Amino acid sequence: MSLHQFLARRLLLMIPLLIGISLVAFIISNAIPADPTAANLGERAAADPEIVATFREKWGLDEPLHVQYLTYLSNLLKGDMGTSIRSRRPVSEELGRFLPATIELATFGILVSLVVGVIFGIISAVWRNRLIDFIVRILSLIGVSAPVFWLALLGLILLYLRWDVVPGPGRLDARIRPPPNVTGLYTVDSLLTGDWRTFRNALEHLILPSLVLGAYSAGLITRITRSSMLEVLSMEYMTTARSKGLREWTVITRHGLRNALMPVVTIIGLSYGNLLSGAVLTETIFAWEGIGRYAYNAARTLDFPVLMGVSMLIAIIFVLMNLIVDVLYYWLDPRLRQA
Amino acid sequence: MRRFLVLLLVVSLSITFAGTAAAQEEEKVLVVGLSEDYKSLDPSRAYEPGGSLIHHSVYDTLVTFPSDSVSEILPNLAASWDISDDGLVYTFSLRDDVVFSNGDPLTAEDVVFSFNRMKNLKDNPSFLADTIANVEATDDLTVVMTLTQPDPAILAKLIFDAFSVLNADEVRANGGTDAPDAAETDTAEEWLMSHSAGTGPYMVESYDPTVQTVLVRNPNYWGEPAYFDRIIIRNLPETSTQKLALEAGDIDIAMDVIADQLPSFESNPDIQVFSTQSDTLIFLLCNQDPAIGGPVSNPLVQKAIRYAMNYEELRFLSGKGANTPAAMVPIGFAGALDPSEALTRDLDMARSLLAEAGYADGFEINLEYPDWNYIGTDFNIVAQKVQADLAEVGIKATLVPQEFQMSLEAYRGGRQGFSLWLWNPDYYDTLDYVEFLPGGVVGNRANWTDANADPEILALRDAVKVETDAAMRNELFREIQLYEQESGPFVPLFQPGVHFAFRSDLQGFSYNGQWRVDLTLLYR
Repeated sequence: MSLHQFLARRLLLMIPLLIGISLVAFIISNAIPADPTAANLGERAAADPEIVATFREKWGLDEPLHVQYLTYLSNLLKGDMGTSIRSRRPVSEELGRFLPATIELATFGILVSLVVGVIFGIISAVWRNRLIDFIVRILSLIGVSAPVFWLALLGLILLYLRWDVVPGPGRLDARIRPPPNVTGLYTVDSLLTGDWRTFRNALEHLILPSLVLGAYSAGLITRITRSSMLEVLSMEYMTTARSKGLREWTVITRHGLRNALMPVVTIIGLSYGNLLSGAVLTETIFAWEGIGRYAYNAARTLDFPVLMGVSMLIAIIFVLMNLIVDVLYYWLDPRLRQA
Repeated sequence: MRRFLVLLLVVSLSITFAGTAAAQEEEKVLVVGLSEDYKSLDPSRAYEPGGSLIHHSVYDTLVTFPSDSVSEILPNLAASWDISDDGLVYTFSLRDDVVFSNGDPLTAEDVVFSFNRMKNLKDNPSFLADTIANVEATDDLTVVMTLTQPDPAILAKLIFDAFSVLNADEVRANGGTDAPDAAETDTAEEWLMSHSAGTGPYMVESYDPTVQTVLVRNPNYWGEPAYFDRIIIRNLPETSTQKLALEAGDIDIAMDVIADQLPSFESNPDIQVFSTQSDTLIFLLCNQDPAIGGPVSNPLVQKAIRYAMNYEELRFLSGKGANTPAAMVPIGFAGALDPSEALTRDLDMARSLLAEAGYADGFEINLEYPDWNYIGTDFNIVAQKVQADLAEVGIKATLVPQEFQMSLEAYRGGRQGFSLWLWNPDYYDTLDYVEFLPGGVVGNRANWTDANADPEILALRDAVKVETDAAMRNELFREIQLYEQESGPFVPLFQPGVHFAFRSDLQGFSYNGQWRVDLTLLYR
């Protein structure tokens, strides 16, 4: 099967998957025994039958459930994700604002964890059972087990308040205006407009949150890389490579690392999906208004259109991540190409 | 390629860390840290307390409160007013020197438009206009407001942000309407999200939802200009982040300080703290319907529970600033009983009341409450304390924490037998606490209705609803509260503290419950 066929089949499979996800998300959010009227109207307004009736009619809540779902689907096909009950703004517009913030944070987070994880993993495997290995293993254990809110607060107290090496919460200093919106990623947009001051500020604001967000994946990647490297290092082709007289560094990176990276790729794909969808705590503490907090607030106020929109978006992200991982496999492992 | 990547990395890093300090702006900027709760900057849809910070800086109302209390009504856009003898007609004379931020003079027509629009939008605050029958402009500077019934609280209601006066022409030009179908046809909200049409000291410069709101000084302001050129209200949803940002000097005021943070602020000379009791009333509800409330529907049991609570320890649990009101009118409202008149714990009294009610050996009951934390008050902890206090008189309460929305619905539907809740004032007049009486919003949730209530409390309720004489009102409220101590389905527990922390160089801080902090009065 060629890569094209493979891609086409996987993309087609997304359609029934997304319909299924939309149905499950719709059923779950409506099965909650709570009423969006109470969640979105004030104390007195919710006690006024006329206001409640207007509200239900306006948001289509007076229709039977299957009609609501079909209306949602048909609007979705037209590219209309509906309007947020809470903010009365189009969901697609809000996703367009909150998603880039999360993408920017998660991308830096995954880069941090990738660089740190792979380097630590190699060090740890090459110097197995030496002091450095123990240190790395303890660090990776902290990374995977420390609660993210604790790491975040500790980071803020030390690096922001005590030593003042990173800026405080938010994506930019309060006094700096966001760059003109092109991609929504502040680092990219400020570079595109050549605004170095904003770029620098945005980058500085990314340091601590991406360290905190990437800590778990960094720990995980370290451990996976280490065990995978250990396995590869004991292979016969490593001995062969060494006996050819190659330098040790070449042996480890060319022959060892490339083969050891396969499981790491899977982890990165899944971790990236998790970082994109599960960063609520990090986003809250760092006042980083991304998709995680958006979804959390929507769930709290039973903002159905937003809940649906976020569920669909996160589903798409996970499906795409898996697809990318599979393509990477294809590229990393020559056997798959020949099969 | 690799060399290029290395070069790129080096360049970007050197840019990042090169010490090119940005030129200091000369501008005077105030930065406020707030957990953003508002979702609209249209004052006619105002509801959330956070929005008040903005509305109060940008818009004016006909009358107002002093910046540090809600006990007195002062002129604002209205220089004076007359009330007809039957209490139904209010005639306001507007100041003649007021202009909107775009330079247009204020006229009576703007007031009529703003009030009608607010009522017809049928949004959260619209109920405040329920007693207003009609508003009209009899000349350029005179507004005549006619009520459907005497409403002693109407002036206090007019101070709420929803009665802000907007520039009618400007709002109309941007899709606004005050027609009866405004709920469907008004489209000015979007424009009002990034602009303002008020007479206040500031104008809305930009609103980036969930990030920040920026206000800029109104060059045409008719009063004394404010000190700060710009006010930035930053959304910092996490209280501990607000604390750190304040300590680092990145924000000037933290609006969401919790009691646990006070000790570390107090040891910091750069930071000042303001604490007082909030207007939030935390209480227990006993359902009057025996089928729902079971034993707690018995008035003797209700009274026994009032005597069983250890109010002093509840206050201590709640932290600094907390206080216990004597009945269901919070401390700070006109006519509230003095806290010294509050019931104190009397276990013997509680036990003998229970015995009289036929529960000498106590009983078992579920205590329902929303599983949440409100301004630093953890409902789980309060419920545990209530459970422990009740256990001492033989009542075995089982705690039933519920998901907030689900609990709210059961509470609003009057389906909770015995529950722990809170009430925030809708407007700053004691009349709001008539809702705890039979047939009121909260009274109904306890199934305390005209049908099952004493004629005595019904008579008091009906009298206080129309009484306009201040002394008479206070007397009636006093009798109502003494009745509530003896009888009735509510147990007042405490008003939690409310705390603000700000940089010590900031001057002019004052608090009142309506808009909390008047940002326009601050200076350095």
